Amino acid sequence: MTVPLEVRDIWYGYPGGKGDVLKGVNLAVERGEVLAVVGLSGSGKSTLCYCLSGIVPHIYQGNLRGQTLIKGTPTTSMKIPEIATRLGIVFQEPDNQLFSPTVEDEVAFGPENLCLSREEIGERLELALKQVGMEGFRFGSPNQLSGGQKQLIALASVLSLDPEILIFDEAMSQIDEQGKAGIKSVIVGLKERDKTIVMIEHDFDNLDVADRVLLLRDGVLQPFEGRL
Amino acid sequence: MKTGLKGLDPRSKLVLVLCLSTLGVFIQDIGILTAVLCVSIALSTASGSRLFVLIRKFRRILWLFVAIAVIQSIFAPSGRVLVSLGGIKLITAGGLYKGVAMVLRMSIVMVSATIMATSNSREIVQGLVQWKVPYEIAFMVSVAIRFLPLLTDEIKNVVTAVQLRGIELDRIPARQRVKVYSYLIMPVVSGAVIKSRELATTMETRAFRAYPKRTSYMVLTMQRIDYTVIITSLITSILTLILYIKC
Repeated sequence: MTVPLEVRDIWYGYPGGKGDVLKGVNLAVERGEVLAVVGLSGSGKSTLCYCLSGIVPHIYQGNLRGQTLIKGTPTTSMKIPEIATRLGIVFQEPDNQLFSPTVEDEVAFGPENLCLSREEIGERLELALKQVGMEGFRFGSPNQLSGGQKQLIALASVLSLDPEILIFDEAMSQIDEQGKAGIKSVIVGLKERDKTIVMIEHDFDNLDVADRVLLLRDGVLQPFEGRL
Repeated sequence: MKTGLKGLDPRSKLVLVLCLSTLGVFIQDIGILTAVLCVSIALSTASGSRLFVLIRKFRRILWLFVAIAVIQSIFAPSGRVLVSLGGIKLITAGGLYKGVAMVLRMSIVMVSATIMATSNSREIVQGLVQWKVPYEIAFMVSVAIRFLPLLTDEIKNVVTAVQLRGIELDRIPARQRVKVYSYLIMPVVSGAVIKSRELATTMETRAFRAYPKRTSYMVLTMQRIDYTVIITSLITSILTLILYIKC
């Protein structure tokens, strides 16, 4: 059976950068698995996210070798919107992910881009907000939410595209304990629904929801032994 | 549910604002300009805008209006001299008239624009899209509106960071202050570039421009009051301009 997300010998260096940030990364994430990747700042964690999600090379160019496969298809042969329906990514900074005046508009943005019918958009909207427990905020402004709530809305905006794979790029780094608990409970719920999840983390307290933890050190992926 | 002017379609508000601004730009007569300003204030208040809160917020800029009136008066002298300095006509009756007209004109444009602020940016985007304005352009306007306060916050943060390092901006000479502000440009601009880049990436990963067209979950429908407002605004404005030109 095809693995939902696979990385084969990825080497990547930013344009104008000194050498490669990722050095021969190999990775396979199973269906329904929560994989956490930890590492120090500058170890290449976010770059790995970009490679997994097709942001590299579609948005950020550079020197890329190797392949990222989503259900067996290389991301290089897919367009970003096509990837978006299979893989969703939640970034670190909540404010830079929310650009609509109401929560409803924010969550509907993705399905609207996919040209779905208004009825289906409505259904997806309701479901996504229910999954993150933010139904009560549907008509509110994202500006008036806490950091944790904003991140939940960013997650709902991704979930409304109904992707099989989700990537959390240090999504809990800028939020309080209550917000972290909210995100973690959603991750557990998504795992129960067989979603494939990759969490990039630097906080060991958030690793309790992970099935497997790997360490990224100087661009090389290795087993995590409890220390960075 | 919003009723009356408060519940107007953003397209009706846009027509209203365009009519008021057009009158403000074309008319030179202070009396008519004052009347247009009064109508603008009444409509802005009726549409539920926070006009007086905004005036209080921007009260520092109000001095700029006075300065513009005086400068206009100095550089466009005509008629009876009211104030002179060593043979130079500083304030003349004609100049002052033009200055006051200019201030009224600016006030009309600003006050009428507050009517638009009573719709949220998504409604404005949708209104423009339903008027066949390309979504990308309408969305760009909406994002600019959304991120302007964030940019202001960023500037405030950088200024606070400088002050926390012991530089009292209020007490240093103006020349030095300008120099300090020039140092602030770089972090603010780079912050804005990073933000916009992250925003663009987020949008792309949510299938932005996946297809040449997109569905809109929100659909605006014009009501009878919208048509009434549009027709009344256009007829009144055209008649006012015709009468003004003829008289």
